Amino acid sequence: MTIDRKAHMSRRTVIKAAAATSAAGLVPGLNTAVYAAGSDKPEKEEVRIGFIPLTDCASVVMASVLGFDKKYGVKIIPTKEASWAGVRDKLVNGELDMAHVLYGLIYGVHLGIAGPKKDMAVLMTLNNNGQAITLSKKLADKGAVDGPSLAKVMAAEKREYTFAQTFPTGTHAMWIYYWLASAGINPFKDAKAITVPPPQMVANMRVGNMDGFCVGEPWGHRAIMDGIGITAVTTQDIWKDHPEKVLGTTGDFVKKYPNTTRAVMMAILEAGRWIDAGLQNKMKMAETVADKSYVNTGVDAINQRILGRYQNGLGKTWDDPNHMKFFNDGAVNFPYLSDGMWFLTQHKRWGLIKEHPDYLNVAKQINQIDLYKSVASAMKISVPKDVMRTSKLIDGVVWDGKDPKKYADGFAIKA
Amino acid sequence: MKAPLRPAIPSTTLRIVIVAPDLAPDASDPDAGTEAERSRALRIGLLEHGYNIVAVLPADVFLPDRLAQIAPDMIIVDAESQARDTLEHVVMATREERRPIVLFTNDDDTTHVGAAIAAGVTAYVVAGLAPERVKPVLDVAMARFQHEEGLRRELADARTELSDRKLIDRAKALLIRHHGLSEEEAYARLRRTAMEKRLKLADVAQRLIDVSDLLG
Repeated sequence: MTIDRKAHMSRRTVIKAAAATSAAGLVPGLNTAVYAAGSDKPEKEEVRIGFIPLTDCASVVMASVLGFDKKYGVKIIPTKEASWAGVRDKLVNGELDMAHVLYGLIYGVHLGIAGPKKDMAVLMTLNNNGQAITLSKKLADKGAVDGPSLAKVMAAEKREYTFAQTFPTGTHAMWIYYWLASAGINPFKDAKAITVPPPQMVANMRVGNMDGFCVGEPWGHRAIMDGIGITAVTTQDIWKDHPEKVLGTTGDFVKKYPNTTRAVMMAILEAGRWIDAGLQNKMKMAETVADKSYVNTGVDAINQRILGRYQNGLGKTWDDPNHMKFFNDGAVNFPYLSDGMWFLTQHKRWGLIKEHPDYLNVAKQINQIDLYKSVASAMKISVPKDVMRTSKLIDGVVWDGKDPKKYADGFAIKA
Repeated sequence: MKAPLRPAIPSTTLRIVIVAPDLAPDASDPDAGTEAERSRALRIGLLEHGYNIVAVLPADVFLPDRLAQIAPDMIIVDAESQARDTLEHVVMATREERRPIVLFTNDDDTTHVGAAIAAGVTAYVVAGLAPERVKPVLDVAMARFQHEEGLRRELADARTELSDRKLIDRAKALLIRHHGLSEEEAYARLRRTAMEKRLKLADVAQRLIDVSDLLG
């Protein structure tokens, strides 16, 4: 097993080197800076960007590996972090300049929910889709394979049910709470909700400590490969094209280094565009991020779902057009105010914040719409007309950002 | 009504829980190996200095329950550990009842300590795990935590006192209006009742107001 892995590793390293070389050829005139040296020259050239080893850190990593950062006059230093709490603290105290981070976490810090409070910024959405909710094989054997059947099993056999997510204010917490509630299960009253680091999800489920979890790839697919769980629902089936990780930083950083901020956004947008451009690029990306300096897993745990090839662990396979996307012609990256506000409505719904915040104003303070528009127009990436978008979630409820207070209070199941 | 500050607990009787990384890490993951070794060195250092480690807990699904059972005075966790997110859940769930959490890192740059504290980070990032450096750090962390708790309590007391005074004023006004008492007489009557019934003055005032609402 170990030997096998090592062989994989060296193969990957070779491929990674190849990817880097081909990229140099791919970007002609790598050394000619695209920015006009002068007023928009980056104020700070080295930018430390924290990431958590998950598939969706890819556009940050590829921007650095493929040298898109240099093209825009900055040097991205991807910095692997062990925990979201660590990412938060390092963003707050300046050890990290930016981070691949959970949408809700940035909002949590801006409001000071059970931790430090600091003005934060969401520069752009890094990816849509590509997370999943896994139920244990044991539950699946009893017939719990989706929301309704899980509710039935839980009603028939009373005991303590435990569901895990990755951070109290994070995206995975909101997806699993929303999904459980859509099946009539209150995540706090009918079950126990806990936080567990992604790599430990699979291990905890194996020994029977956990009934289900929501986490980013590759861990959902890994649970299937290891034969310990099944995919009950993908997050794109909870909310098609939902916002997931964002490129986050502090409000101070944006004010102090606007040109650097723009340059980094351009490099990462270009990396996202490169990843989504085709099959070959996705395979190369999977080979690169599987390496132990990034996600540290077998490439086969990543490349299936990145291409939209899904299996649920019960023999069903399908091609999902709504797989994880990093660019999708620019549709992924616009930091819609309604996306940010949605996380606030769920924080309120589940009692993480006690009072209704000023939803729209908070989102306006955090999401850097103007900055994004200027970057997108410089790169000829289309931008939607409206800062809100309308989405219908798994329970049929429509979210359009228009009446957040009513929306947050309107759920039958809440904390 | 000022509550006394809790006396400083001598560090050797502090009941400490260490949240440990994976104790038997996957051999193929060098980061996990380093983390496990760092945690081991820290435990040895603390034990050699006579600290009372009541438990070493893995960051698994049972962590919140175990912490609630043990109710330690201090929780120590490696700053570069995955375990921090599990602990974050505990911090969120028990945000009314704070407890000092000390973060350890082998980062030698001490400027981060000041920055972390100034930024209001829930804990303290300190340089090095060398045992002789552990004690002063824990002492400072505990002292600072107690200081903050003291301020927090004073603020809470001040708030209560203010709302108590408002209640008493309303009760006095009722007595003055309905019984034609002077302010001194009204106050004396409230006090006498409080002493007879062994209640707080504010509680008597509250009861009077409630009853008066009832009677219209």
